[in-house]
Amino acid sequence: MIPFVKQGDALVAQFADQEVDILCELIEQEIALLAEVGSDDPQDAGLAEVGIGGSSTPPRDPALARLLPDAYLNDPEAASEYRRLTEASMVERKIASARGLVESLGEGDVRLDPEGVELWLRAINDLRLIIASRLGIVEDDDLGTGDEVMQDVYFWLGYVQGSLLDAVGA
Amino acid sequence: MTKTESDVELAELVSMDMPWVTIVWNDPVNLQQYVTHVFSTYFGYARPEAERLMLLVHNEGKAVVATGPQEEMERHVEAMHDFGLWATVSRAFS
Repeated sequence: MIPFVKQGDALVAQFADQEVDILCELIEQEIALLAEVGSDDPQDAGLAEVGIGGSSTPPRDPALARLLPDAYLNDPEAASEYRRLTEASMVERKIASARGLVESLGEGDVRLDPEGVELWLRAINDLRLIIASRLGIVEDDDLGTGDEVMQDVYFWLGYVQGSLLDAVGA
Repeated sequence: MTKTESDVELAELVSMDMPWVTIVWNDPVNLQQYVTHVFSTYFGYARPEAERLMLLVHNEGKAVVATGPQEEMERHVEAMHDFGLWATVSRAFS
């Protein structure tokens, strides 16, 4: 990867073929994961039809639970009500960001306008949250356990996000 | 310390006007630079204030990043969750 640099209002970077493949694969998995939200909660089907459907309980998958956390601590009723009203649209937005990243990634020559930068920051961050959850990273300076390849991918995503943040602040 | 009548009145006034807060919690994943970016772009905080809040989150485990009506705090929390930050709504004086 050639890190992001500013070109006028845009940020540009170049990704190698293998990096493009990894990002696309991760995004595909993320979208499949997000598509599961609410699917084990048949009671909300009616609400879903009118477009405000969300589950009343946090997702069982810990990675999804981190992406879609409770908005209220120690108040299950308020948390449940909030989730019901916001979860479905939040999932849609996260999927849209994920798809947007793949679109602008193309074959590796990336050029992002300011809106694209914000989309990438969120999409990369969501991927990092999912992988960190899978690696069991729960505390600061925690490296997690398990798959070394996944660990490398996690740090690489941090590098990509850091490169965006450096360039946007430059 | 004994509260004077005016202290109590002041507290009531404050609690009527600003009864809710948005709290952002520390987590081991989000880059400090990203959290600062979110605070400055979304809330419009100047860079030093955004950095101060980010460090509060990092060092204290959490920070209040906004106060106001409940509906507004819920919108902020939704936005924080869009960014991938871990945030919650609660009463300011609970």
